Amino acid sequence: MADAAIHGHDHEDERSFFTRWFMSTNHKDIGILYLITSAIVGLISVCFTVYMRLELMEPGVQYMCLEGFMAEPCTPNGHLWNVLITYHGVLMMFFVVIPALFGGFGNYFMPLQIGAPDMAFPRMNNLSYWMYFAGTALGVASMLSPGGNGQLGSGVGWVLYPPLSTNEGGMSMDLAIFAVHVSGASSILGAINMITTFLNMRAPGMTLFKVPLFAWSIFVTSWLILLSLPVLAGAITMLLTDRNFGTTFFDPAGGGDPILYQHILWFFGHPEVYIVILPGFGLVSHVFATFARKPVFGYLPMVWALIAIGGLGFVVWAHHMYTVGMSLTQQSYFMLATMVIAVPTGVKIFSWIATMWGGSLEFKAPMLFGLGFLVLFTIGGVTGIVLSQAGVDRAYHDTYYVVAHFHYTMSMGAAFTIFAGIYFYFGKMTGRHYNEFAAKIHFWLFFIGVNVTFFPQHFLGRQGMPRRYIDYPEAFAYFNKISSVGAMISFASFILFFGIVIHALLRGRKVEENNYWNEYADTLEWTLPCPPPEHTFETLPKQEDWDKAPAH
Amino acid sequence: MPHQWSPSPSVPDSAVPALSLTPFRSLPRRGFAWMILLAFGLSLIPLLGVLGTMALWGLLPFVLLMVAGLWWGLEQSYKSGDILEELHLRGDELCLTHKPVKGPTQEWRCNCYWARVDMHVSGGKVPFYITLSGNGRQVEIGSFLSEDERKVLFGELKDYLKALQQVQAP
Repeated sequence: MADAAIHGHDHEDERSFFTRWFMSTNHKDIGILYLITSAIVGLISVCFTVYMRLELMEPGVQYMCLEGFMAEPCTPNGHLWNVLITYHGVLMMFFVVIPALFGGFGNYFMPLQIGAPDMAFPRMNNLSYWMYFAGTALGVASMLSPGGNGQLGSGVGWVLYPPLSTNEGGMSMDLAIFAVHVSGASSILGAINMITTFLNMRAPGMTLFKVPLFAWSIFVTSWLILLSLPVLAGAITMLLTDRNFGTTFFDPAGGGDPILYQHILWFFGHPEVYIVILPGFGLVSHVFATFARKPVFGYLPMVWALIAIGGLGFVVWAHHMYTVGMSLTQQSYFMLATMVIAVPTGVKIFSWIATMWGGSLEFKAPMLFGLGFLVLFTIGGVTGIVLSQAGVDRAYHDTYYVVAHFHYTMSMGAAFTIFAGIYFYFGKMTGRHYNEFAAKIHFWLFFIGVNVTFFPQHFLGRQGMPRRYIDYPEAFAYFNKISSVGAMISFASFILFFGIVIHALLRGRKVEENNYWNEYADTLEWTLPCPPPEHTFETLPKQEDWDKAPAH
Repeated sequence: MPHQWSPSPSVPDSAVPALSLTPFRSLPRRGFAWMILLAFGLSLIPLLGVLGTMALWGLLPFVLLMVAGLWWGLEQSYKSGDILEELHLRGDELCLTHKPVKGPTQEWRCNCYWARVDMHVSGGKVPFYITLSGNGRQVEIGSFLSEDERKVLFGELKDYLKALQQVQAP
């Protein structure tokens, strides 16, 4: 029999530094590990863009020379350029944005919002994190190991299309495939963990349609990961055997089909962009509700819109490949299906606006980033509708218009929600207040910087400047110069962000209260101290702590 | 409801336990079936296009692994909640059994006249910790229930013991 244990022991955190951070099974610690790692990888990846924008600032090649950095005379080093665009894409897609939003915020706040004591499988959670770490290490190793053109790294683009990827020399490409494999496995394990936690560990009385929106967004994201990543794993495994074991899945010489790879890749790739943005949708919903001092408008349509976006994400993939020679019927279908996505997305955008409508708005840094997201993501969505038209896409395919479009949705959509989330929850996670004024400067620098960077790229795309080239004719010089200046401003804001975080950690004012915003931040994490103790919700939370929706 | 009284808890030697308690799991079995069906069904969609080609064998193993993983995960989380506590009345003896996730069933017996229920508002394993004592031992009951439910359970247990003891009293 379980003998009673009555000796009034409080939970004291007795873990050593090594045990706490390297053998962590605590969802909050693992969440923080994800956030820190992705911030570092993000910095590396952003540095690549700065180098690339520097090169594109003036026509001609000034920095990336075969003879070395800024050699005179200079032979353009196209391989280096290709490597930079490839690893910017691979790192950002697989190792920065998903780990930050899904791994970081998802791990930290999803169990808290549903009142679970931890994830369903804490040790598997630890495995997920370290596999992600190993994947990142493999990715960086791939960049520094012998690749194509007798140089280091592979320059095939993040989509790894054959025959480019099957013909690239050296072992760099194989390492990159392994990196994606390992990080994919990590994401799938993470998704199984999240789904199990969400389904089976909700607080009593919390039915599916009472779960807070962020937890919902993580649940839908987990499903997208679960359904799309095995497909990617299959595709890149076939790529690997094509490279190393003489199979011809994607080689027409042996009866294979390179277009098949594109179909499979984008069957994963399109849900992937929703994997990137959906947790952000969830986060900003709470931010808007808090700083408008109103409950989220239309909770139920918001949830269904998340599910609908997730579902539609799986049936539109070929809009990335209108130019590969599909039949007219196929193109019409993918065009219409793509435009339908605007409906649930519109539901979300209008619900956010309605949340703020008549509210008592307070423009703290998280709210500014949330609003920035709303405006810029909508611009990205509108150019998405433009690009979704197969006929128009003939002109815009592989031009800077596409680059501008997906950076408006991801670089500004996802990145703005990450920053909104970090400022929103900074006190909760660290127990310290950040400097509000500095954070506002960060916002304005970032907002102006990214717009100056990416808005002119629409014009470049319309002028016909193609993507993924190290150099361009004189005619494109004007907007490229502006765009590069914008990139420098954005980079400065990113450095400022690190400064704000370090300053807040070392000198920040201590957070005294559990809920430092207002009563409209009403999910369960706000009933806990800042930072929350090691163990939370070991006994199930009470319903009145979380069930505040006036509609019920 | 994770704690359930039998319709007639004061009848001795009944086949149904007087009280049974299990931890709360928010996903009903029907929901589990739906989730697996959904995962399996949706993951077949991308396979349609490669049906009849070699590429099917490149994709299928990963898809099946994913479904198996989800199945395993959900099953495992049910298993972690596979704790059963039962209170039986055998003659005039109260018998509490505790079946943990792993390991043998534990048991506590005490003449119901001497059994006592206590609630420890603080200082226990959880707030409002409920214990039964008698026969030289103090044992916990329902520590996995929610706080509100433990408070309800305490009142019910108290009334239950009182009723039994009044029947027994000369």
